[in-house]
Amino acid sequence: MQEYITVSMLNAYISRLFDQDEFLQEFWLKGELSGFRFYKQSGHSYFSLKDKDATINCVMFKSRMHTVNFQPEDGMEVLLRGYVSVYARQGKYQVYVEEMIPYGTGSLFLYLEKLKARLAEQGYFDAARKREIPRIVNRIGVVTSQDGAALQDILRVIRQRHPGAQVIVAHSSVQGSEAPRELAAGVRMLNEHGLAEVIIMARGGGSLEDLMAFNSEQVVQAVYTSKIPVISAVGHEVDVTFCDLVADLRAATPTQAAQFAVPDYTAVQKHRDELTLRMNRCMQRLLANRLERLDRCLMRKVWTQPQGVAKKQADRLTSCQQRLGAAMLEKVKNDRHRFALTAQGLDNMSPLKVLARGYAIATVEGAVVRRIDEVSEGDLLNIEMIDGRLTAVIEGKEKIERWKG
Amino acid sequence: MEGLNFESAMARLEEIVEQLESGELSLESSLAIFEEGVRLSLYCQQELEKTDGKVQRLLRKLNGEFALEDMEA
Repeated sequence: MQEYITVSMLNAYISRLFDQDEFLQEFWLKGELSGFRFYKQSGHSYFSLKDKDATINCVMFKSRMHTVNFQPEDGMEVLLRGYVSVYARQGKYQVYVEEMIPYGTGSLFLYLEKLKARLAEQGYFDAARKREIPRIVNRIGVVTSQDGAALQDILRVIRQRHPGAQVIVAHSSVQGSEAPRELAAGVRMLNEHGLAEVIIMARGGGSLEDLMAFNSEQVVQAVYTSKIPVISAVGHEVDVTFCDLVADLRAATPTQAAQFAVPDYTAVQKHRDELTLRMNRCMQRLLANRLERLDRCLMRKVWTQPQGVAKKQADRLTSCQQRLGAAMLEKVKNDRHRFALTAQGLDNMSPLKVLARGYAIATVEGAVVRRIDEVSEGDLLNIEMIDGRLTAVIEGKEKIERWKG
Repeated sequence: MEGLNFESAMARLEEIVEQLESGELSLESSLAIFEEGVRLSLYCQQELEKTDGKVQRLLRKLNGEFALEDMEA
């Protein structure tokens, strides 16, 4: 009996195949609406999308319908974002639609405006979170097409400004349905690899459709979560894609992006040399002035004739001694002089001197008699002479006016 | 010189030159930061000459590892 499998096993297997295929997880699909039916009770819509050769069934659940801001009608060209999965019970695969917009430049602008508003509201474009590009960069990551002109411009500028710089290219197509996924993968890969100090997202000029990949949410998300600062240079100067808005720095052209990314190394080299020169010159000046101060100090006599110091002290000593001596002499002389004067004075006053000159001193019981009324007749009087004492009795006394005191 | 990158080395060098030129430092501290300055200056010079100017393509091999392939740009 032949080995066999069941219908559900087959459908389950097919369903798993679909769910594992990366591409089928999200893509943009263009086609013409037909058989569009909206079921009020469930809120879901069912339709098919066709082009001139093929058709495919689609379903848009109620939860996604709010993103449709137009009235879908059969025959309309639309652009929808969705994924494919197998409805196992019936063994049919269909597109599960996340977002749908009318196709055609008009609607593209409308779509972009709406997406931009949503991204802005979610903070993807906040200026506050934009980081500084490091001043000195040696390793630059570039996410672009390896065959594109953008890469050539970037390499030319980098080689010119910083010949030693290392460039790491994450190749990615820059338009077409694969571009969003590859660009996003390129940014993530560079982040994971971790060597690049800055990432440049670059693409040359192109139409709005050509640049659409850089407006995709995948790319915006990848740049937003990049740990490495991102410089974005997409399209011509006039074009601004969401990638430019979410990046840390927007450059008008790939060339300018490279200039922002890499400092002009000759300038950095010159700056370093200049700093080193200033440092050396300043140090020399500092040492020179300290040495000079030392020299000036050493030149002073105190070092050249050390004995000078001793001599000075000795001189001071001798001069002190001399002054001391002189002062003493002076003092002695003065004292002697004063002594003589006082002695002289004393001498003059000395009673002996008076007696020697022939005067006599009258005393009564040892006390000197100065006035005649201190005594009376008959009193006993001692008279002191130079060579002895006389005793006498007062016989008479008489007042005489000698001196107008 | 671990933990030092070119940018912080340059910044510190600038700081040292300013301090030295201010003339407020003692001889000892001037000599100390001068020595640091010389080391930083040498480090920066080496960094400037170090990186090899290659252009490479970053690839992820099947086993998930990274590979850098030289590109003749």
